[in-house]
Amino acid sequence: MQFELGLTRNGLIDTKNLMGQTIPNHSSPKEFLRQHSDMVDGLVRKAFQKAQSQVSAQSVCLIAVGGYGRAELAPYSDIDLLLLYSLSQKQALPSLIEKILYPLWDLGLDVSCSSRSTQECMKMAQSDLHVKTSLMDARYLDGEYEFFRKLYSLFTKKVLHRKVQKFAAGLAKDLYLRNQKYQDPNYALEPNIKEGEGGLRDFQIGRWIIRAKYKTDRWDSILFPDHSRMLEKSLQFLWAVRNQLHFLSGRRQDDLTFEMQEKIAPELGFHDGSDGIEEMMRQYHLSTQRISNFVRDILERALYEPSLLKKTFFFLQRRKIDDNFGMACSELHLLDPVTFKRDPAQLMILFAHCQTHQVKMDFRMEEAVIEALPFVDDCFRNSQKVNRTFLSILSDGQSVDDLLRKMHELGLLSRYIPEFSAVEGKVHYDLYHVHPVDIHSILAVRELRKLREGHYQRDYPLLTKLIREVENPGILFLTALLHDIGKGMGGDHSFVGAKMAKRIGGRMGLSLEDQQLMGSLVSQHLLMVETAFRRDLHDEQVILRFANEIKNLNSLKMLYLITFADIKAVGPEAWTSWKDTLLMELFLKTSRSFEKNDMTGPFLKGEEMANRLRDSLSAEMVSEYVEHLPDRYLSCYSLEEITHHIEMARSVEREVLLVEWKVEKEIEAKVTICTKDRYGLFSKITGSMFLNHLNILEAQIHTWENGIALDTFWVQDVTKDIERRLEQFKKDLEEILSGKVSLRDLLSKRKESNGIRQKVVPRVPGEVKINNQDSGFYTIVEVSGEDRLGILYESTQALTDHGCDIHFARISTFGNRIVDVFYVQDESGEKIQEKNQTDRLRKTVLNLLAPASK
Amino acid sequence: MKKIEAIIKPFKLDEVKNALTKIGVQGMTVAEVKGFGRQRGHTEVYRGAEYKIDFVPKVKIELITTDEIVSQVIETIERTSKTGKIGDGKIFVSPVDEVIRIRTGERGRDAI
Repeated sequence: MQFELGLTRNGLIDTKNLMGQTIPNHSSPKEFLRQHSDMVDGLVRKAFQKAQSQVSAQSVCLIAVGGYGRAELAPYSDIDLLLLYSLSQKQALPSLIEKILYPLWDLGLDVSCSSRSTQECMKMAQSDLHVKTSLMDARYLDGEYEFFRKLYSLFTKKVLHRKVQKFAAGLAKDLYLRNQKYQDPNYALEPNIKEGEGGLRDFQIGRWIIRAKYKTDRWDSILFPDHSRMLEKSLQFLWAVRNQLHFLSGRRQDDLTFEMQEKIAPELGFHDGSDGIEEMMRQYHLSTQRISNFVRDILERALYEPSLLKKTFFFLQRRKIDDNFGMACSELHLLDPVTFKRDPAQLMILFAHCQTHQVKMDFRMEEAVIEALPFVDDCFRNSQKVNRTFLSILSDGQSVDDLLRKMHELGLLSRYIPEFSAVEGKVHYDLYHVHPVDIHSILAVRELRKLREGHYQRDYPLLTKLIREVENPGILFLTALLHDIGKGMGGDHSFVGAKMAKRIGGRMGLSLEDQQLMGSLVSQHLLMVETAFRRDLHDEQVILRFANEIKNLNSLKMLYLITFADIKAVGPEAWTSWKDTLLMELFLKTSRSFEKNDMTGPFLKGEEMANRLRDSLSAEMVSEYVEHLPDRYLSCYSLEEITHHIEMARSVEREVLLVEWKVEKEIEAKVTICTKDRYGLFSKITGSMFLNHLNILEAQIHTWENGIALDTFWVQDVTKDIERRLEQFKKDLEEILSGKVSLRDLLSKRKESNGIRQKVVPRVPGEVKINNQDSGFYTIVEVSGEDRLGILYESTQALTDHGCDIHFARISTFGNRIVDVFYVQDESGEKIQEKNQTDRLRKTVLNLLAPASK
Repeated sequence: MKKIEAIIKPFKLDEVKNALTKIGVQGMTVAEVKGFGRQRGHTEVYRGAEYKIDFVPKVKIELITTDEIVSQVIETIERTSKTGKIGDGKIFVSPVDEVIRIRTGERGRDAI
């Protein structure tokens, strides 16, 4: 039944695969597209001729349109056909089309066919953008050639080169809407190779406009040779990826998912493992950026062609800014075309003018900049004039991120700061870092600029105040731009980056002091995050050590601002109110220690608190409770809180369990749990929270010497259903503690597999650090690894099984990576020091994290 | 093979359909349905009089996919039909034993 065209569905797939294997995809992906298209041409012609012999319909013409018309047919692309007919044939059409399509469909080809008369085509092409673009790529296949010729000449004469500006505007809108849709950070990590920003569709838009405006199909003829060579390379790369994508998934799949990234990288000759994937995605980002720049450039040329009126106006408005630049109609222009060649420093001055006069440069100016790039040499980089201008642009701060972005787009930034080119397009193969490093760095500058202009006044008043106090915002912006500069090299990027930043600072002529400041900010740019998210901020040692590293209030402020910008620029979900709170707490406590040089504010010493309690409570209460309160507990809470806790403890004598909570910002809650201490209590609590989808952010666990356990948790539920979940959590925990149900049973129900293959995401290697230095009384266990259901419950259970008492826990999540920090002691209240003990502990937890255990 | 049924807000249909075709889904069945979940219907006021809307109009999409792309299909529907508000709908996944294309008699994967 399926032999109509001499081939079966599987036979076709085999032929295609064979073709894919014989043509070297990474060197000549387009060759495959062409050969594949030729093969399909054969099948389509055969189907057409066969159909024509069965149905008498002679005056028709079969045309390939769209991508197939360009003979660019990826392995599973759809095949668009157009059947041109003369009106006399209308009757026979339905059965003719049916006879053409059925055998092709049965081969598994994704064919669609529209049938129109020449008049209809012309009419639609005039009004419908998509019909117009698909006709631009039309290619004759079979039937009456005369029809095709007539349509083509009519189309060229009446549609193609008319109303180019309107055409470009339509395409620009299409591009904008599409890019909007793919703004979602998910698409940055798993981009759509066809429709995403800088994807193949974007390139077509550029090509179409060139075709319409310059009447040539040689898109490269209007670009600089270097430029068009790079663009061609980018395109080749995208096609190679797309071919593989189709082959490996066996369907028209254009989303470059993690699963496919892992499979394609080795196929295209990149290293195995995440290094290879990161390198491939770097190529991908560089390629799409190039295409994006190309299409934007072309659109601009087509859209802003000045009218005669404007030209006159332009002439009248012209005024000189300095000896080299003039301005008219808020556009800058060069007074003398060889300016940049004569004095390359003018390149930087151009950007300074853009900033001072708040004007854009048009495409001619951009071209002049690109053309002048070869003059950006060591002499330029060391020129005092250039560096001063660059630093003044940063210090001014106005639209500084836009200017940096433009410099980057035109290639000036990485010529001026060659170190920057190593981080261009550099990605992390994980779920957390949405943007490549170069874009991330510019976004960090953007966040600071917005902060400084007061966009975040309401949400982050403290940070806003701080940035306005900064004496030299130029250094701050420069540090933000360079904070990840070490990422292109090997080794610890903060350390390497600090050296590079200092060197760059030196070259730019910064004072020694500023170089030092920038160096230490870059080397410490993760320190604040690590301290705030992984240490107990109630521990004064933590604050003192942090303060010691930072040295003074000014660098603390700068570091706080850089930390904010860094996290905020990672992606829209990276900065949370929780992180905000922790960082602010760390900042305030540390700044207080700088200002007063005494720690009594936030850290009321345990003894002092106990005295205050003795004064305010009855003698009976004091002997029953206050005398049993451990020191660390006393320094964690306020007088009111402790008094309230004691009341809770009194009623626990009668009830099994008391749970209270206070919801904040709809999604977070502080939960206080009071009960009698028992074995494995903490893991039972975390288990019940996990059961109820409550995300634990932090836990303070205190056991009083009279056997009362008083724990506070910060939990989160982003679905804003936190009240209901907490109610259910309380019920579950009650039943578990009273022995009515077992936690293990409840958990096993939740874990039931549904047989659906899980989505592939980047793996996270497990790591366990055991630290006995940072805290005077506790061993700090830092667990980082891949997040999965119940991981926290399992790790706390493992710690308990090893005889560890958990006193404090802080949990952070970065995409699918978790970092859990536990402050533990052994049963006798000592640190865990012995090597065989720590080794055993490390091994057990590592086993939990190992992907094999999934 | 799996059957995926998704109940979504009617105005999201186009977006979901486009997104699904872009990941290579070749066909689906769509029905206009009415129902209620936690949303429970709501009351609308028109010229002072209250009208109770018990059943909320929704669109149901049904499609059959191979096991390999189930999670991608689910993710695509989730991502595109989400508004974050109550009444975004649900997705059901169930196993399918056999698929037959009537015209040709093809079975299994080929018939999807």
